[in-house]
Amino acid sequence: MLKRLLYLLLVMPMACVDPYEVKVPEGEQLLTVEGIISTGPGPHAITLTRSATYGSIFEGLIRPVSLATVVVRDNEGNVTFLTEGTEAKGTYFTPANFRAEVGKSYTLQILTAEGNVYTSTPERVAAAPNIQSLEVRTVTIQVEGSTFPKSGVQLIVELKDPADQNNFYYWRNGPAVYILETSPELYTPRPSPQNPNRTPQPKDCCSICFRYEAGNNQSLFVVNDDNFNGLSTRIPASFIQDDGFRFVNKFRMDLKQYSISQEAYRFLRLVKQQAEISGSIFDPPPATIRGNMISLNNPDEVVLGYFMAGGETSKRIYIDKNDLTFRQVKAIVPDDCRVVSGAFIDPPADWRP
Amino acid sequence: MKKLILVVYFLLGWGTAWAQTPTVTREVIGRDIGQLKGIKLSGRITDEITGEALVGATVAIPELNLTRITDANGSFELELSRAEYTLEFRYVGYETKIYPITAVGDGRITIKMLQEDFNLDDVVIYGSDPEKNIRSTNMGAVTLSMNTMKELPPFMGEIDIVRSLATLPGVSQVGEASSGLNVRGGGVDQNLIQFAGAPIYNPSHMFGLFTAFNPDMVNDVTLYKAVVPSRFGGRSSAILDILPKAGSVDKFGGDVMLSNFSGKISLNGPLVKNKVSLLGGFRISYINWLLQSLQNTTLNSSDANFYDGNLVISAPLSEKNEFTYSYYTSYDDFAFASDTTISWQNNAHSLQWKSKWSDKLSMETSGFYSLYTYGIFNQSGINNFEINSHIADMGGKTFFTYSLGTGQNLTLGADYKQVSIQPGELVPTGTEAELLPKKVQDETGRELAAHFQHELEIGEKIGLTYGLRYDYYQYLGARTVRNYQENKPISDGSAVGETRYANNEVIQNYDGLAPRASLRYSFSKASSVKLGYNKMYQFIHLISNTATIAPSDVWKLSDGFLKPQIADQFSLGYYNNFKGNIFETSVEVYYKDLQNVVEYKDGANLILQNHIETELIPAQGKSYGAELYIKKNLGTLTGWISYTYSRAFRRVITPFEEENINSGSWYPSNFDKPHDLTLIGNYKVSTNTSISATFAYSTGRPITFPDAKFDYSGNNLAYFKDRNQQRLPDFHRLDFSVNFKLNGQGKFFEGDWTFSVLNVYGRKNPFSIFFDDAPQQPPQAFRLALLGIPLPSLSYAISF
Repeated sequence: MLKRLLYLLLVMPMACVDPYEVKVPEGEQLLTVEGIISTGPGPHAITLTRSATYGSIFEGLIRPVSLATVVVRDNEGNVTFLTEGTEAKGTYFTPANFRAEVGKSYTLQILTAEGNVYTSTPERVAAAPNIQSLEVRTVTIQVEGSTFPKSGVQLIVELKDPADQNNFYYWRNGPAVYILETSPELYTPRPSPQNPNRTPQPKDCCSICFRYEAGNNQSLFVVNDDNFNGLSTRIPASFIQDDGFRFVNKFRMDLKQYSISQEAYRFLRLVKQQAEISGSIFDPPPATIRGNMISLNNPDEVVLGYFMAGGETSKRIYIDKNDLTFRQVKAIVPDDCRVVSGAFIDPPADWRP
Repeated sequence: MKKLILVVYFLLGWGTAWAQTPTVTREVIGRDIGQLKGIKLSGRITDEITGEALVGATVAIPELNLTRITDANGSFELELSRAEYTLEFRYVGYETKIYPITAVGDGRITIKMLQEDFNLDDVVIYGSDPEKNIRSTNMGAVTLSMNTMKELPPFMGEIDIVRSLATLPGVSQVGEASSGLNVRGGGVDQNLIQFAGAPIYNPSHMFGLFTAFNPDMVNDVTLYKAVVPSRFGGRSSAILDILPKAGSVDKFGGDVMLSNFSGKISLNGPLVKNKVSLLGGFRISYINWLLQSLQNTTLNSSDANFYDGNLVISAPLSEKNEFTYSYYTSYDDFAFASDTTISWQNNAHSLQWKSKWSDKLSMETSGFYSLYTYGIFNQSGINNFEINSHIADMGGKTFFTYSLGTGQNLTLGADYKQVSIQPGELVPTGTEAELLPKKVQDETGRELAAHFQHELEIGEKIGLTYGLRYDYYQYLGARTVRNYQENKPISDGSAVGETRYANNEVIQNYDGLAPRASLRYSFSKASSVKLGYNKMYQFIHLISNTATIAPSDVWKLSDGFLKPQIADQFSLGYYNNFKGNIFETSVEVYYKDLQNVVEYKDGANLILQNHIETELIPAQGKSYGAELYIKKNLGTLTGWISYTYSRAFRRVITPFEEENINSGSWYPSNFDKPHDLTLIGNYKVSTNTSISATFAYSTGRPITFPDAKFDYSGNNLAYFKDRNQQRLPDFHRLDFSVNFKLNGQGKFFEGDWTFSVLNVYGRKNPFSIFFDDAPQQPPQAFRLALLGIPLPSLSYAISF
């Protein structure tokens, strides 16, 4: 919130932000681990990548780490193997029936194709309280240099925090489905020798589809219960951006609530802090984000990321367009809705708005 | 600008009053009884307007090649032979007076000097007497008078004290909008800023865009950066002593000024004629009105207010006793799109009593109370809350100065201060109980000090000042203190039990001896070399993980975990004046060692933190540098060049490898800027027009570039390995101003137009460089320039 002074300075108008060319020494390609296994339904995914170097412009890609052997071991010695996705390279999935158990500790072990061995420190699973209700709130965000604000939906979780323990909450947007409206009657093929004069060729079908989305989690929502231990409280837990499609009719999403460890909370807080850096005068100095992975071959090797294990509860919400007090202008797709990726004509079996 | 009226009263030996004269003629002093030698001429120099004694003014007799300096009472004494002399009275910022006399017998004169009028062709810039830099044994003490600061290009229409000081060698700022000063490699919290003797914790408006002291209310500012007189202590780097003006004891007057961003008014005059004067001033910004008039809804629902006010009651009751009461307040609030407001306020009262008990013994006693409150107010509709914090300082000091003879002075005194801090209290303000109120434990500390200082001159060439300060500090209950396992890093995980301390029970004591010494050897009247040593203790720490003073910061007293900061400084300087003090030059080198500086663990959580010791690590610091200074004091062109080469480092070594920063090696501190050059020139085009320019260059400050880029939860993140290994591009900027004075002679008002341009050639000096991997665009480095364009401002001031 302090960095908002910056925006004021930007319009006064004194301050400015512009691209800048810097020379950064080539960094190492460090193994990065991301993923959470939880008490929720599987499969749970762990993603392995290698870091890239920062530079003035695009220098190097974050690449997936393929063909590794990845296992999760609990404190009773049970080992679960994860298998790499055939389409999602570098992402390793637990069997669909795998669920973490409250009270157990889990470690992640990795053997890379090069033969290096990595392990996490143990993560203990704590129970997550239920989400009692979800409230929808419309938020608008002014965009510098544009008269049209960005907007979206903020979900506010109501929960009853257990008084007898220190809890650390982490929310993620789960899979979503929404009604996609398109305009097949406006279909106009690209100008071509066959159709030089751009005559519309209306299609008969279809203007209404159901579009599936994986959860988008650009914004991180983490909190500890220091300020509400033992209380019923409401906390902003999710942001879903209005892209001109999602809130045209009905939108459904599962919000996942995790109870994570104190160390995982600290890690996510650092991630969040860094993701919000704007270069302003109130930015904290850069902090080294240390994770919980260690190399067994070379103790000095830095491994990035964090392996988490936690309790999970989730709640489903249907959001109607009328729940929003401000919406983006409806985006127009002049085509059959079925051509849009992830869109299908039949509603999901459990679609009960 | 006060109208120049020249009044000189000669109270002759037999009591004849001598009236004012426009043309100065040679006067006969004393009753002629045929005395040839040993004629005693004594006198006192005071300010025409305020009646205040001018301390350290020069009385020179060129015929005898003799110079005397007025004492703490503004008095001087001369022993003359029966002859004709030309008396010259000089005081910086005042009209020089030349008075030819014929001395025939003992006599006493009273000289009233007027503040210099800008109609003069020559400008004299600071230093309370032209040879003081050479002759005094003091090291690294710089006094800037308001008149000197007026010669610098103003910042957004205003004279800015902090920015003016940053033009001096060894003094810098982190960036273009930062609060506070970095003096010789020290942090902003290592300077004690006091206004009329009361400590001020946040010296800025709008997060450092403006300095929170109204320049019209300030008489002068003294910065002690090397050897600090032993009557000052409590901070480890420097002392910034700001003294308010006094109102006139015989007539009413005032000033009004308007600029693009703020307006101010001041009034002064006698409450009791010739006895008690009053000075009041108020300054307010109208940035808020500008915001309200904007079309953009985000901005016209934003708020940015500030004001400051002063009240000074000064009572020079007699030549022996003088009382001064000063009240200072400053207020700021800032809200963006009206859901969160940040505000802070300073309040400072002080009362000072100066008394001259005899010709040799004088006393100064003062008491102060200052309260700094700050808060964050959230009215977003969810979990409404406010977080309030404050720091209250109450104390007093007294010291005696005893003159042992020529050039010999003894100062003896004691200080007492009680500091109480409320580090933060969260108060839920919503209708439903969704948040727990939370209060971080209050802190109380007590600082006591006793000090003495002896100044002496050994012959003509050698001067020595030595002193000792004994600091005693107590950290007091009521408080619950956590205990931690030994041989483990202090963290929530290693906590074992708590100890409860009762109200006013001593939790922790620290004490220390802080010697100060400086030695001067004069080669001639115009050159000298000085050597100094200084030790200081600091019992309060600014816990901040940003580069500026912000309301989210926490001030923390030393406790069992956080030891007092200790600074040791050695300095050596060579001073030389040329051409009858027209040019002043100096070279100073220093080495400073700092212990127990505060550093933070990675990603430390500082707000509402009841166990802040778990987030902090002690660091060592060292800094060294060489400062070169050339100044032209007189003429149509005046100004100075200051160049500093300096380094400032930090090191964190703990018994626990994981807590070390940069593997325990020395790394540059946030304000390590090796090369720092300032050029300042003021050119008097005509009697009422002057132009001034400032050019500043410095090495870019250290920053941390990421070592690698990785992805977590859809966020592109940076992995930082070592702190402060890269640098921002070099900083340079040119500022320019034109000042035009309307002649007020014979009229009611005198006007003063100032047009200035900051950053003339629009240099985009980066405040920071950061990396942003926003979706739909290549990841890129960006620079943030706070002052990216030439910024003009216009102000108009009138005096009446």
